[in-house]
This record gives sequence, structure tokens and C-alpha cells, in this order.
Amino acid sequence: MEMLQYVLRKCITGIPLIIGVTLISFLLMVYFGPDKTYELLGKNATEEQIQEIRHQLGYDKPFVSRYLEYMKELVTFDFGYSDSTGERVSSILKRTVPISLALITPGFVLGNLLGIALALVAAYHRGRWLDKFIMGGSVVGMSVSFLIVIITFQVLLSSNDGLGWFPVRGWNVYNFWDYLHYVTVPTLATVFVALGYNTRFYRAVIVEEMGRDHVRTAKAFGTPPGELLFKHILKNAMIPIITRIMFSIPLVVISGSLLLESYFGIPGVGLVTYDAITSGDQPILKAVVGITAVLFVVVLILNDIFYKLVDPRVSLK
Amino acid sequence: MVFRHFMSKRISGLLILLSILLAAGCSDGPDTNGMKIYRHSLKGAPSSLDPVQAATVYANHVVVNVYDTLYSYKYLARPYQIKPNLAMGLPEISVDGLTYTIHIKKGVEFTDDPAFPNGKGREVSAADFVYSLKRHFDPKTRAQGSWLWAGRIKGMAEWKKAGSDYDKEVEGLKALDRYTIQIILNKPFPQLVHTLAQGYAAIVPKEAVEHYGREFSVRPVGSGPFRLQRFDSVGVALVRNPKFRQEPIDLAYEGYDETIHGQYGIHEIEGKIPPLVDRLEIHFVKESLSRWNSFTKGNEIQYAEIPKELLDDVLSEKKPDLIMKPEYAQRFFMIGGIENAFVFSTFNMRDAEIGYNPDPQREKMNRALRCAIRYAFDWKERNRTFYSDIGFIFPGIIPPVVPEYDPDLSSASVEHNPEKGQKLLQEAGWTADNLPTLDYGAVADVQYRQFFEQYRGWLAKIGYPKKKVVYNSFASFGDYNKAIKQAKIKIISMAWALDYPDAENTLQLFYGPNGAPGSNSTNFNDPEFNRLYELTSVMQPSPERTRLYRKMNQIVIDSCAIISGLSRTRIFMWHKDVVSFPNEDIVGGFHLKYVDVKEAQK
Repeated sequence: MEMLQYVLRKCITGIPLIIGVTLISFLLMVYFGPDKTYELLGKNATEEQIQEIRHQLGYDKPFVSRYLEYMKELVTFDFGYSDSTGERVSSILKRTVPISLALITPGFVLGNLLGIALALVAAYHRGRWLDKFIMGGSVVGMSVSFLIVIITFQVLLSSNDGLGWFPVRGWNVYNFWDYLHYVTVPTLATVFVALGYNTRFYRAVIVEEMGRDHVRTAKAFGTPPGELLFKHILKNAMIPIITRIMFSIPLVVISGSLLLESYFGIPGVGLVTYDAITSGDQPILKAVVGITAVLFVVVLILNDIFYKLVDPRVSLK
Repeated sequence: MVFRHFMSKRISGLLILLSILLAAGCSDGPDTNGMKIYRHSLKGAPSSLDPVQAATVYANHVVVNVYDTLYSYKYLARPYQIKPNLAMGLPEISVDGLTYTIHIKKGVEFTDDPAFPNGKGREVSAADFVYSLKRHFDPKTRAQGSWLWAGRIKGMAEWKKAGSDYDKEVEGLKALDRYTIQIILNKPFPQLVHTLAQGYAAIVPKEAVEHYGREFSVRPVGSGPFRLQRFDSVGVALVRNPKFRQEPIDLAYEGYDETIHGQYGIHEIEGKIPPLVDRLEIHFVKESLSRWNSFTKGNEIQYAEIPKELLDDVLSEKKPDLIMKPEYAQRFFMIGGIENAFVFSTFNMRDAEIGYNPDPQREKMNRALRCAIRYAFDWKERNRTFYSDIGFIFPGIIPPVVPEYDPDLSSASVEHNPEKGQKLLQEAGWTADNLPTLDYGAVADVQYRQFFEQYRGWLAKIGYPKKKVVYNSFASFGDYNKAIKQAKIKIISMAWALDYPDAENTLQLFYGPNGAPGSNSTNFNDPEFNRLYELTSVMQPSPERTRLYRKMNQIVIDSCAIISGLSRTRIFMWHKDVVSFPNEDIVGGFHLKYVDVKEAQK
């Protein structure tokens, strides 16, 4: 009951957040985003045709009515049709979001799990060569541009100039082996970059936890290193870890990865979103922004629930 | 123990997650065993596959392969030659050049689709063409091709004004019977047949337009050689249309020349019936390195344009002929040629600071300023820096790919002569203080910025203060186009791809009434040019028309309204197991139904 009340309360307080995010982003789209009219015009356009297209795009309506229409679309989850392709926005998202999820999740999960594991090792050996080695590697991962990493992995593992083991481009995934075939190189590239950021962050969290009294006490009791790390340190460091992971999820779900998708020829939502941003395809942008805002509210709620699960002292009141 | 427990729980969680992901990202695969598959690539993607929105060469690659057009271009003949496609023959034209009668083939059917009763595609009729062309004048369709026929078809403007009611007839566009189309023009339009070969003129069934509504743009239903299987942001997959008419290839008719085409094995397709592959995939790959890696991989895309950054790696010689290095020549075919387009810069003549000015003295000064800037421009350097020194520089606005091009025209307007430019400025009374600030418009992009910096450097050589040459960048092409259509930029950097092989298509860019927001972005408005344009626009190709075209070209050059131009050389490669004579210039993709691959998928 306490949980249900909490969820309802959070949902209600999430509404201003959604309104705030959508209002600001819609304002930016309308007044600072690309004008789609001039991409839809023929080569020898007339003033009459310009007005026709502006009318069809709804550009001639007052801002308030356009925003209210947006809110209605968000509530009904019906964002109409893409201004570029004419396809239903819901169909586009239904087709592309699962592909982006399938593409990014392995890298996201492995990047976090390995990051935590390496952070534990580094923190446990704090100040020693192993710590320095891991942290040095993290800095390398953080310093190299994602684009360079993608190209390097593609040349080394996929192209004929390298090993040629994996496909350069495509997403013909019909079974598990196809999936592994297509997802391996993008995943390795993602993990390479994510590890740097994750390891450094998690190490800082764990190092802080290691200095606490209960850890010192456990050490004094002669607790074995594995138990000390997982039961006494990691469990108590879970709150910042959960926060970091949870707040990355909306972006993973809806934004995809433009660079991975464009370089590996994967028809995910990242490419669709990027094209929508650069071409001013407002129906898609409205959907992406709106759903991301809603997901953030959901994540906020789940985040608090997870806090309660990992630390019973946290109150949901 | 704790660690093992921790890991086993997480591994099972991971496996569950993996299964969910797999289910989410997978779909049923097509059975491609034994199929002939050709994997083409393009460096851009279409947004819509609705013929009325087929504004790009990328969209046309799909549209002309899914739909039928009345006319097409011969596969191999260069210069391009029109041939009947769905039409029985070339149009019957009345003596006054105003009435076109076109008979279409009988028994041609649309592909089967749920849009039709019982899912069975019906026969294509003359009424379908009439309906398809009317759609360009229906504001609801967001058509982009109406400019081809606007003001030319009798009664079409009135039909649109009356509310674009498809049940009402257009006087100049009728289906006389099931297989006969009649087009009546307001005035002769010699390029009409060319326009009927464009993707814009593709024939769509009304049932599919109504069934799919807005989504018709991603669910094309046509009577062309292929039908669509998949379309997304990275490519399309088309499969053979089993109902496509049986018309064996006659290579002699298509313009086969053993000396040109023999080396590509084109003779192998003689007598075969298009389409020659079971599955045509067109991959949209904007990233040149990724495209190249995929192309050289061997089992991925089979056709690609050489990225310009790799030209020196792939070619052993660039001049006078393009020659591939032996390691590439063993594996690939190559073709290179001047594009059916050109790049140029124009001055906004509507801007009184640099263009037309009511004050005759200032008008004279402005012309001197434009000419001086043109002398500052170094086309050879531009060619070396950005086009691998293999672009073709020519004076004026009639590019080398059209028959009206004049190879003997003086090249003075494309010569770099900063001294002369500086002298012109001084003589006209321009000083560093009174020179206007020039805004150079372009889309925000590294290469455009580089163009600008090079341009500014050249202007400095004629004494133009650097701070008076500013970069006006736009986030998207739409925004840039908006500024052009509103005549807000002084210097416009442009490229123009010809819709059909007739210089009229570039000359119309300088016809006064086509000024912004029309295609005349220069806002050039010269009475003599306009008179000649109107005169020639109704003339059939002839030496006299060519003479007048060249005269118009000279008027534009003499006015110093443009800095033009250069046609880029584009080089394409394809695998040796593919029989093809690729073409990306006119329309886009009309050759794909003739592409064959030697081995079927195993």
C-alpha cells in the first residue's frame, strides 16, 4: 500500500516535469529547429506552395494550440506521421527501438558489469600497480573518440584489411548466431569506451565505501576479500551505482546510438532521431522527447523503489 | 561461495535478457538460397518513396524500379536517348506541338497487394496515369514535382483552384480510352517526354493511395520490375515482380557499343528478360570509409563510388585516363565520367549592394564588383583542393554533359586573374572602406567552411578586407534553402543536378519570373535573356535553338551574375561477378533492372 501510494504520488509530481521538459523542447523545436517547409518544396516553388506546406505542417497555428496538440498526442501516444517519410511514428519506433535495444544492451550491460568488476579490483589494490594500470586504461578509453574506436574496430575485425571475421555493415538477424555475428564488433566498441567512464566512476564510489567503519570492522573480523567486496562494499555502494545505471536507461531505450548505427548500417532509432533533428521532423522529435521525459519519470520512481530494496533504511514517504 | 552465488544469479539474468533482446531484434528471414542478389549502394537515403515526392536521385533509384513510367532512357546509349517504357511508342504530337497522344501497353498489371480487391493487382490503364499526374496538383500530397508541368497542361491550374477534385476532368489531361492518354499543352513543351521519364511521372494505383493513406510513401505498389520488401533508414530490399512484362533485352537497340561496353561483359545479357536479379538491395551508406570497407569485403555491397580520400590509393593514374591499380583491377570494374551536374556560386541580384541597383552609377559599380570577385575565384585551385584535380571546369551555365555545350566558348570567365580583379575594383571606385560586407551562405559542414576560407583567401588577393567576408552557416539544408528562397544571402554556393539532358533545365535557373522563391536563386532578371528563354522554351531541338541557348549563356556570363562552373568526375566501381553499366546521373537507377550477377546465392 505504501508502495502504491508512493508510485501514484510520484506519477502526479512527475507531470510538471514532463510538461516542463516538453514545453522547453517544443519551444526550441518551433523557434530554433530547422524549418521543414523548405525541404519539402519542389525545385521551382511558388509562394502559394510554401503557404500550402506551412499549413499542412501546422506552422501557421498559434504556439499554444500546437503545444496542446502535442500534449494530446503524448497522452494518447499517437504522434501521427513522420513529416519526412510519411510513416506512422508509432510504427517507426516499434520497428527501430527493439533493434537499438538489441544493439546497445550487451555493450551497456557488459560495460557496467566489467566496469564494476574492474573498479572493485582497482579499489582493492588502491595505489598499487594494478590500480594504476586499470585507471591508465580507463583514461585511454575515455580519451579516444568513439568514432575512432568504431572505425578502428571495424577495420581490425570486420574489413578485409583486418581479420574480416565479422560483417562490416548490416543487420540480417534471424537467429542467435546472426545476432552474435552482427552485435559483437559494435559491442566491443561500446565496451571499450564505456569501460573508461564506468570504471573511474565506480572506483571512486567503492573507494569511498571502503573507508567506512563497517568495512574496517569487517576487515578486522578477518572477512575474506570476496565477501568483503561483494557483501560489505558493493552492496552498500549500490545506491550511486543504481542511480547511474537507471538514468542511462531512457537514453539507451529511445536514443540508440547514431554512430554505431550509421557506421554498421543498423536500422535503429538513433539514425531516425538524428535525421529527425537535422531535418526538423517534428512528429518524430515530439515522440522521442515526450517518451524520454516519461521514461525519466518512470526511472525516478523505479530508482527510489530500488533504493528501498537495497537499503531498507530508505523510506518511500 | 558468495561470489559464485552472485555470479550465477547474474549469468542467468543475462541469459534471460539476451533471449529477450534476440526476440526483439530478430525477424523472419527471407529464404535467399538459389536467388540472384545484387547489392547496390548509394551515399544518401530517400525519405519518401511516393513518386510525387521523388525529388532526389536516391528516391528515384527505388521509384523507377517499383513503378512504371511511360518513358525511360536507353540503358547504354550516350548521349541519353528516350525510349518507350509503359508507352507503346513515342508520343504522337500534333502539328502545333500542343497535343500529345500516347498509347500504353495492354496487359500490364500492378503487383498483388492487399490494397486491391482479393489482393490481386489489376491492369494498369491510361486513367492511372491521369490520376498519378493529377496528384502533383493536389496540395494534400505534398508533391514536389509539380514545377515540371505547372502552367503547361491545359486546365490543370483551374482544376487545382477548384479544389483538386479527382472526379473532375482536366481539359488537357485525359484518358481517351483504357489505353490512350491525351495531353494538351498551353504552349509547346519540347521537354515533355523527358519529364515523363522521371520518377515524378511514375504511375500509381488509386486503390493503394487510398488504402495506405499517408503511409503510401513507404508502401509503394507499382507495376515496375521489382516490388518492395523492406525499407528503412539504411536500405531497401526489392524482389522481382513475377508479373513484370516479358520484354527481352535488345542490346543494339539499347545502344550497345562493343568498344565501350564489351569490357564489362554486357553482351551476356542479350535476349534475357529484365529484371535479371531476384533480389535487389540498395544500401544507403553515407560514411565513405564504411562503404568502402563493405565494398572491398567481397560478400557485402557490390557497387560503390570511390571515396575521394582514397582515390590516390585506388588509382595509378588520374590523367589523361583513369587507371586502377592492378590489385584493384583484378577484382573490380570501374567507370568514371563527368557528372550530369555542376557546382557554382551565384550572387543574389536582388540585393542592391551587389546586384541590381536603381542608381545607374551604383549598378555599374556592382557589376565591376561581381566581375572582380569572379576574377579572384581560382577554379583550378578549387579543383585541385577538393575534386582531386579531375573535375571539368567550364565557363557559364551550360555544362559539358548536354548537347548544347560549346567547347569553343572563351574560358576568360573561369580564369583566375586577381590583378585584373583588383584593377576593376579600383577603376569602379571601390575601396576597402566602401566595399559591402559579403555574407557567404552554406550549410554548417566542414567542407563548406573550407570552401569559404579558400574563397575568402582569394578575395583578400584583390584587396577585399577579410572582416568583410563573413560565413553565414545554416544548421540544415532546409534552413539554407529558406534563406535562399527569401533572397537573404549575398553569395550562394550551389550544385545543380540536371533533371533531363537539355540545357533548358539549367537556363531556367536564370529566367526572371522563376526568381525566389522559385528556382532562379540568383534572381537574375535580364529582359533579353527572358525573351530568348520564352522563345526557345517552345522550340524543338535544332541548331537554331542551340545558338540561342549559347547566346543566353553569354548574357549570364557577361553580367557577372555567377561564378561557374565545374562538373565533378565521379568514379564508380563494382565487383567482377556483376554485369552492369551503372548510371547515377539521369533520373537515378533506371539501369538496375538490367544488372545481372553471375552466381546465385548458395
